[in-house]
Amino acid sequence: MFHYLALAAILFSIGLFGVLTRRNTIGILMSLELMFNGATINFVTFNKYVVTDALLGQMFAIFVIVVAAAEAAIGLAIVLLIYRNWRCIKTDNYGVMKW
Amino acid sequence: MEFAFPEYNLRLMAPEIFLFLWALLIIAYDVLTKRKSETTAGYLALAGLMITGLILGFTGTGHGFGNMFVSDTAAKFFKIIFLGSAFMAIGSSFGIMREKIVNHRGEFYGLILFSTVGMMFLSSSNELLSLYIGLELTTIPLFVLAAFFKDDKLSVEAGIKYFIVGAFSSALLLYGISFLYGLSGTTDLVQMKINIAITHLTFQNIGVILILAIVLVVAGIGFKLSLPPFHQWVPDVYQGSPTPVAAFLSVGSKAAGLIAFAKIFVNGLFAFHHPDMAPNDWGRLVALLAVAAMILGNTVAIRQTNIKRMLGYSSIAQVGYIMIGIVAMNALGMAAMGFYIFAYMFANMGAFAAVAIVEDKTGSCEISTYSGLARTSPLLSATFAVFLLSLAGIPPLAGFMAKFYIFAAGIQAAQHDPGLYWMYWLVGIALLTTVFAIYYYANIIKQMYFAKEPSPHKVTYNFPALTVLLIGLAGLFVFGIYPEPVLHFASGIASSFGIIP
Amino acid sequence: MEGTANSMSEYLSVLIFIFVGIGSVLFTFFLSRLIRPHNPYKEKSIPYECAELPIGDSWFKFNNRFYIFALMFVIFDVEVVFLFPWAVAFGELGLFALVEMIIFILILFFGLFYAWRKGALKWV
Repeated sequence: MFHYLALAAILFSIGLFGVLTRRNTIGILMSLELMFNGATINFVTFNKYVVTDALLGQMFAIFVIVVAAAEAAIGLAIVLLIYRNWRCIKTDNYGVMKW
Repeated sequence: MEFAFPEYNLRLMAPEIFLFLWALLIIAYDVLTKRKSETTAGYLALAGLMITGLILGFTGTGHGFGNMFVSDTAAKFFKIIFLGSAFMAIGSSFGIMREKIVNHRGEFYGLILFSTVGMMFLSSSNELLSLYIGLELTTIPLFVLAAFFKDDKLSVEAGIKYFIVGAFSSALLLYGISFLYGLSGTTDLVQMKINIAITHLTFQNIGVILILAIVLVVAGIGFKLSLPPFHQWVPDVYQGSPTPVAAFLSVGSKAAGLIAFAKIFVNGLFAFHHPDMAPNDWGRLVALLAVAAMILGNTVAIRQTNIKRMLGYSSIAQVGYIMIGIVAMNALGMAAMGFYIFAYMFANMGAFAAVAIVEDKTGSCEISTYSGLARTSPLLSATFAVFLLSLAGIPPLAGFMAKFYIFAAGIQAAQHDPGLYWMYWLVGIALLTTVFAIYYYANIIKQMYFAKEPSPHKVTYNFPALTVLLIGLAGLFVFGIYPEPVLHFASGIASSFGIIP
Repeated sequence: MEGTANSMSEYLSVLIFIFVGIGSVLFTFFLSRLIRPHNPYKEKSIPYECAELPIGDSWFKFNNRFYIFALMFVIFDVEVVFLFPWAVAFGELGLFALVEMIIFILILFFGLFYAWRKGALKWV
């Protein structure tokens, strides 16, 4: 069980690091997917080892997969809009407002 | 194997199902009629929200879907707020529809209604899965809505920023939820409360994992609630996105985050609020964030030149005040939280409606545009001033009563329990920051009323936007002078969360 | 979790497998180098495109249309994940679940209908 949790934590951390440091918007989207996948593995692991009688964790995992896909689709559509407006998807190059 | 079906109780879900089908209908109508009509889709959306409200009135209380879906006082109260804020957002969007959104009117309304359905599911959820799905259904349409002006760089930038922050926060929340699931072995919130408490009593301390889960969930929902340090997206997204969407974000989405927060922490992690439970005590953590929100929101708002950015920072500060009610964790606190968001809905939606009206006329959201507006557009200036004064908390408006109850709840909690002595500090800081708030709200009123020259602009009203202004005005005065009915209704929130008065 | 010695021996077999795999590939490369004729000319080094001479660079920009089709594929593809658990337990769930699934697919069809009316399915 510990191995799976560690795998999930590593995936999540790689994603977290990627979101915070990536300079390419597509790269950020990919890192976000990694974070979701880390959480999904956590759910399945807990379902296997902690709550063996119910399938709630696996159900949760299925829902997370679908939500992540929907989010990826929306994100890619917005990235397409960015490309149309700026002809570039590097986070350094677009942006009008100051953080 | 015989499969035992849970009891579905579909009639409890009638408002959500109706609103969802209605949203599909609006989109289909708009696509099939090739967008000939300017306003029909908007009026259809308003009618749908009103019918949903009626259905909600006839819906009873109870549980459905094997305790996954619950209809109680808290759910109903927040559903009214979601429907009201969607109504006022759509009402103030007719000007934009005429000018800027020509091709996608049906989608605009449909997405707002989808988001409202998500919020309603969220407020009815009784366990983590449906809560998470509701939260996602709330935010995913809002990503699209924030980027709705496809050729406007500001709007697209607001869209991508909101998307990245929103998806990031939902991933954090999900990871936190997965640990809560692992610790308790259930996703049902009430069962989770019991299981985690038993584990805690058995081992005396669950330790790092629970702290990690609490921090992740606070961060995840903190992004939605724009609690510092998770607030940086707020001003940019408000400035860039269409004004009605910013209004809907500031009230609807925030109320959704609030009910999600209350459900997880008050309903699920009730036992870990008290300082005796340190270091698992989330009360102090949230109190710290609330202090940061009040100080930062109110001070940075002073030096904003764009009115939407200013309202963004002011909304950060308002969330700080609301959080006092949750941290107090008594019956009065819960009721005050409900009343605050109720009053905040009227004031903030009204203020954004006024901003939208001015923006439709002048095309600008700079505060300098408002200079001398009182002489050319007295009605708009007067209502806008009332909304701002209510946000600042001036009697006899509803905003004052809301702040009063929130502070009373905080002091009551501190008196009741010597362990919560720091609540005095919290309330003290809140009172102090209110003074800053009055300064920047009054600054706009000064611009409108005491400028040397009259404004070159004279605003024109359309009927729905005018209605929204009048609803906001009426709500603030009526519930400011006579808050008892709402407060009585809101006091049911506490018992929904299992807090006995 | 498991016995240490046991898991160590499992990893040892993995290690041997890796070495044998790498070794066999290297061996065949070495063998072919020994016996093949050595005769380089220019056409051999260009990318293979169905025996035609390639035109232009492979790093050209794809049409945006591909993008929209890919997005729609992602959405409708992933929704099928809900059909699998239902299909596995179909016998026990019975009529009610069938009706539920039909409603679910009808909602998906609405999305497809919308995309069709918007002209997203046309190749312009």
